[in-house]
Formats: sequence, C-alpha cells, structure tokens
Amino acid sequence: MTGSIAFVWEERLGIDAAVQQLRRGDPDALATLMARYQNRIYRYLLRLVRQPADADDLFQQTWLRVAEKIRSFDTSRNFDAWLFTLARNLAFDHLRRVRPRSLDEPVGDSPEDTMVSRLASGDPGPFELLLATERASRLAGALENLPVTYREVLTLRFEEEMKLEEIALVLAAPLSTVKSRLRRSLEQLREMLEADDAGEVRA
Amino acid sequence: MSRPDEHAEIRAQLAQLVAGGLDADAEARIGRHTATCPSCAAELECWQLITGGLRRLRTPQPSPALFERARAVAAAQLTVQAEQRQNRMMLVPLIVFSWVVTVAGWPVFRFATGGLLSLLDIHFRQIWLLFAVFSALTWLAGGSAAVLLSLRRPHERRLA
Repeated sequence: MTGSIAFVWEERLGIDAAVQQLRRGDPDALATLMARYQNRIYRYLLRLVRQPADADDLFQQTWLRVAEKIRSFDTSRNFDAWLFTLARNLAFDHLRRVRPRSLDEPVGDSPEDTMVSRLASGDPGPFELLLATERASRLAGALENLPVTYREVLTLRFEEEMKLEEIALVLAAPLSTVKSRLRRSLEQLREMLEADDAGEVRA
Repeated sequence: MSRPDEHAEIRAQLAQLVAGGLDADAEARIGRHTATCPSCAAELECWQLITGGLRRLRTPQPSPALFERARAVAAAQLTVQAEQRQNRMMLVPLIVFSWVVTVAGWPVFRFATGGLLSLLDIHFRQIWLLFAVFSALTWLAGGSAAVLLSLRRPHERRLA
C-alpha cells in the first residue's frame, strides 16, 4: 500500500518535472510526457470520434497544441485535466466541423467495424475467453452507440479512472452535471445492453 | 423489514453509487439495504458488472509511427517557438540601438561640421527633440508590426 502510494507520488513528481522542462522548451520532456499519456489520450479521442483515422489526426494535433500552449499552462493546476481539455476541445471542434449531428446522436446502426474489434477484451482461459470477449464486444458496441457526451463521461470515469472533480474540470461543467450525466449514461448503456439481450433471445 | 418503496428508492440510486457519485451516508444506507435484500443486491451486481466491464475494455494504442510523427511535429513546433522568442528578445535591443544611432547621428554630424556652439542653438534643440520623438514612434510602430506578424504566422499556419 505504502509502496503504491510512493509510486504514484514519484510518478506525479516525474510528470511535474517534465512539465516544467517542457515549459522551457525541452523536446526530451515532450517525449517523456507523450510516452506517459499516449495511450490514455488516444483512447479518449477514439472514444469521442470513433474513427481511428480521425483519432490519429487529433492525437497529432493534441500534442502540437500542447507544444504551442504549454507556456501558458498554470503549473499550480492539474496537468491531466488541462491535457484532456485540449484534446476534448479539438475533438469537439472536429465533430462539429465534420459531423454536425454527432453531438446529439444516438446512432441507430451499429457499424460492425474496427472499434469493436479494437476494444474487445482479452481475458485468458479458453471458454471464459470466448464469453468475456463476447461480453466485452457487446459492451464496446453499446458504448460506441451512446451519444458522444455519454461516451466521454464513461470513458473518463471508468477507463481513465478520473475523479468526478477532475471530470468536471475537463468538461468545464459543474459537479452536479457530471454526476447526473454519469447516471444517465450508465442507465442508457444498460438499456442498450438489455435491448441487445432481448433481441438475441428473440432471434 | 424494508418499506416497499424503499427498494425503488435504493435502485434509483444504484447507478449513481457505482459511478462514485454518492456521499458516505447514502453509500452506507445502500450497503445496509443490500445486505438484507437479495433482489436489490442482484441489481447492484448488474451495475457492477457493467462498470467492471467498462474498466476492463482493452486500451487502443496509437501506432509507433503515429507516436513518432506526432512527437516530431510537436518538437518542431517547440523549436520554432524558441526561435521566435529569441528573435523577439533580440528585436527590442536592436530597435533601441537603431533609434539611438539615428537620433545621435544628427548632433554628431552637427558637432563635426559646426562645433560645440552649434549644438546649443535653440532651434536645433527643438527640431532635434521633435525628430527624436518622431523617430521613436516610427521605430516603435515598426517593431510592433514585426512582433505582430511573427505572432500571426503560426496562427495562419494552424488555420491552413
């Protein structure tokens, strides 16, 4: 327990130091931060825009924006929230520009594509693997069909493991909004999974 | 014995509970209820299955090529910004130096051609002062334009 707290603390200090170095223009610090955050930022972007090609483009734009704006970052603030806010703004600008209706989906048709295969879980064990993969695929499929604001909040809470206060910072929304959005998104996700179950039983 | 409507109240809060959005009192109340109510406990388990599944979804990763491309673009941006900052820092002393040379050039020329007394001429001093102010404004405007242009260029590149 103490070891894990010490590890988290060390990691935090490492990030703070890298942010300070990056503010002085050090490209090595940029590489350090990118290596640390690449998977989280990419996953978040992919959850928002769903298309891997768009996520790739936004991933690159996010780090370019980090390089441009890092000197205006207030080091007393939370770097994670600042970084995710940058990525979020770019993703929502993209969604407004490319697919104006994306912000108030739900999408009816489930694309049988890349995302599900990318998101499917890989638990070990032969039979369990099959079941878990099947379950994870359905969950990933249902998640993908939620409106973007719901996908976003679920990703930040359960995949990024952010605190509600941090999510409120990223969304620039009150804590009460974050809580109610989380509840609604979970309820809608469950409804979709149950509808999926019912459809399977009928079939 | 639970009130019949208590089950509905508890179930309405379960999604909020698994999202971590309830306070300690509400959590404890739900804990006490589900300890004695199998149907609400099963309902809670359903929610936990969903959130557990969300936590275990595989993390998609950017390709190494994408990582490298993004790193190179961002590092190039850092270099450009460092150069721009350096240029701006150089610009200020250069402008001041140029202005001093321009303003000082005239009395030096006057001293060289007319001697020390020619510098004390009241008309010369008035005109020279006006010239100093005018040239200061000119250099200041030129310097500001250069800074503004250097700031505008990256903005235009981004729009493009």
